[in-house]
Amino acid sequence: MRNKLLAFPPTAILLLLSISGAAYAHHGFVSWFDMGRSVTVKGTVTSFDWTNPHSYIYFDVKDEKGATQKWSAELGAVAMLARAGWRKDTLKPGDEITLIGNPAKDSKPMMHLDKIVFANGQELATAL
Amino acid sequence: MWNRLISIVAAVAAMLAVVPATRGQDAAKPGPVPDISGVWLVAKVQPALFPKGGAPLQPWAEAKFKAADLKTNDPNLACLPEGVPRTMFVPLPMEIFQVPTRVVIIHEGVQVFRQIYMNRQHPKDLDPTYSGDSIGKWEGDTLVVDTIGFNDKTWVDMDGGLPHSDAMHVIERIRRVDHDTLVDEMTIEDPKAYTKPITAQQVYKLKPGWEIQEYVCEENNKYTYQGK
Repeated sequence: MRNKLLAFPPTAILLLLSISGAAYAHHGFVSWFDMGRSVTVKGTVTSFDWTNPHSYIYFDVKDEKGATQKWSAELGAVAMLARAGWRKDTLKPGDEITLIGNPAKDSKPMMHLDKIVFANGQELATAL
Repeated sequence: MWNRLISIVAAVAAMLAVVPATRGQDAAKPGPVPDISGVWLVAKVQPALFPKGGAPLQPWAEAKFKAADLKTNDPNLACLPEGVPRTMFVPLPMEIFQVPTRVVIIHEGVQVFRQIYMNRQHPKDLDPTYSGDSIGKWEGDTLVVDTIGFNDKTWVDMDGGLPHSDAMHVIERIRRVDHDTLVDEMTIEDPKAYTKPITAQQVYKLKPGWEIQEYVCEENNKYTYQGK
């Protein structure tokens, strides 16, 4: 079931969201993302911006027909991520990860990231 | 021997000059002052001071409040300083330093600092600034900070969009309630923008071992500020 859920399409995923606790958001996150909902997406990392004021994960998500959709996940500031255990080389292109976060209010393939799950099952959250 | 003694006396005098937390602020008020130094982080984020509305705004300020938009005219979108008091609500760490004549707060967010002067009054004819001019005094275990001299370019609260005028006057009562907890009780007076003073409280937790890090907001800022 979970694999089917992760296999797309994003619009379907957005209909099956679960409620998550409200996370803090800066730079107007609350106006761009639905902080009261959570979405889970499995993808392949294409790049990782380890930058301020926010970091970004860009990743590809394939649907059941093999079509690829470009997604991005927005994270917080570098220093706070580092305090939570992230490093500039935490992700590299080609990494297969599962991303859990708050979806864009306008249903674009974007999310505010809460945590990632590596292929080996290890989790890494953005919050302390 | 004599030269060595002079050197020791000079060294001790120099040390006393830079170890403020246990020294009096001036000769008229001897005795120790509380130590509030360290790296502190907002304990619980307050996105808005009036989440259900009801802020006692003057009509023009009410209109500005309604026009506030996190997507377009939040000054933070341009990486501009949050200013006082908004910077005190930002959930990025701040470090407090104490020297005899000043309490200095370095904020990681947008890399701004506050200087609270302990040995003077507000200058006359202040140029308006984001953080204003802060003077402080100790009342028992409480640091009372009085700040005026603001511009009108910042929001009062974190994400709520509360406006203010250049007449804003912020009084903060900062107290270390226990070893790990700092509380800032704020009173914000601004008769141009508000019909009565508003109050706020922000609690911080000590973060031992943390160091303030670089935060260059302009590095990869993807947001667009459409304010003026």
